Amino acid sequence: MVKIAVTGGKGGTGKSTLAVNLAFLLAEQRDLVLADLDVEAPNDHILLSVELEGREEVRIMTPIFNLKTCIRCGVCAYACPDSAILLTKTKLPVLIPTMCSGCRACYFACPTRPKAVIEGYRVVGYTYETKVTFGNVGFVLVTGVLIEGEERTYPVTLATLRRAQRKVRDVLIVDTSAGTSNSVAASLENSDLILAVTEPTPLGIHDLEMILRLSREIGADRVWVIINRSTIAPNEPVIKIAEKYEAPIIAKVPYSKEIVESYVRGKPLVLINPASTVSKSIRDLARKVTEVI
Amino acid sequence: MKIAFASSSKGGLDDKVSDQFGRCPTFTIVTVENGKTVNVVAVENPGHKAVSGAGIKAVQKLIDEGVDAVVAGNFGPNAEAALYEVGIKVYVMKDLTIKEALDRILSEK
Repeated sequence: MVKIAVTGGKGGTGKSTLAVNLAFLLAEQRDLVLADLDVEAPNDHILLSVELEGREEVRIMTPIFNLKTCIRCGVCAYACPDSAILLTKTKLPVLIPTMCSGCRACYFACPTRPKAVIEGYRVVGYTYETKVTFGNVGFVLVTGVLIEGEERTYPVTLATLRRAQRKVRDVLIVDTSAGTSNSVAASLENSDLILAVTEPTPLGIHDLEMILRLSREIGADRVWVIINRSTIAPNEPVIKIAEKYEAPIIAKVPYSKEIVESYVRGKPLVLINPASTVSKSIRDLARKVTEVI
Repeated sequence: MKIAFASSSKGGLDDKVSDQFGRCPTFTIVTVENGKTVNVVAVENPGHKAVSGAGIKAVQKLIDEGVDAVVAGNFGPNAEAALYEVGIKVYVMKDLTIKEALDRILSEK
């Protein structure tokens, strides 16, 4: 299995657009799974105009307190690293669900037998598995969705990644969320190739450095930089950061209205406008990727 | 009944009501009996310097102190949920000294 991660730090640099176009090009020759790990705002399926299918729940453990067997010792509240358990005046535990990460510390700490902490669960998100087909080219899109109002992306990201990994036989492309959170780090782990998509703006440059540092931290051995909207400003600052982290700039994608056309039609640009300059640069990138995987 | 006031500095009736509930430095706890103030104490807020979960730590302190109501300028969503859960009454008041805020609550009744 080969794993390619599309990331970049800054939001809105074109990670998802690049990921779906690259997926389409690589799927022409390889058996491919694309995983949308931006669980707070997954949008690969929107770019591909497909309805999500095959829903599965992502559950995290939630303690239920058995007040009949509880000896009111308060140990569960002291053990909780999330400060999610309050003790009432009479020392009965009360859960604040939004604070709870489902770590089970309370369950393990509870000293009574039978335990007064019972393992319940709650649903914090969903994963989906959708077939995407354009003509005779197809791949599987695995998508993670965090339920609105929930705060913890990590369990949903991980469940999505696992489902994609169960499905993949040849090539896995993961489309990460913006930023350099734990969820992004988990998404990048064990990648054979990391594609850091950025743009020549102060934020793009700043966040590129963050993602290159993270990549170094997790021991990534091959990181390539892609400058999207390369024609909107001088590229030197991006080049400088990339050189500092010894990450080659593998592609420059010009700013173009053609990409808007692809948004409007909900199909990958390389499919509807293969002759465009943007399509050419993505195809060129796909060729370089194919050479190393 | 006991009323806790999120306090801006060291607490006491002349201190100001803090805009923050979870991260205020102290709570001034006023005991009221038959509409009269019988006791005023200042206690440290464990949420003040907490890395995370400040609101919940502050709520736990108020439960331990046996407080019935709490006054602050703002409450975080987790703290508000927790206060509701344990039945501590919430008053939102801003730009007042603790004495002024106390007088308002007492004149309400």
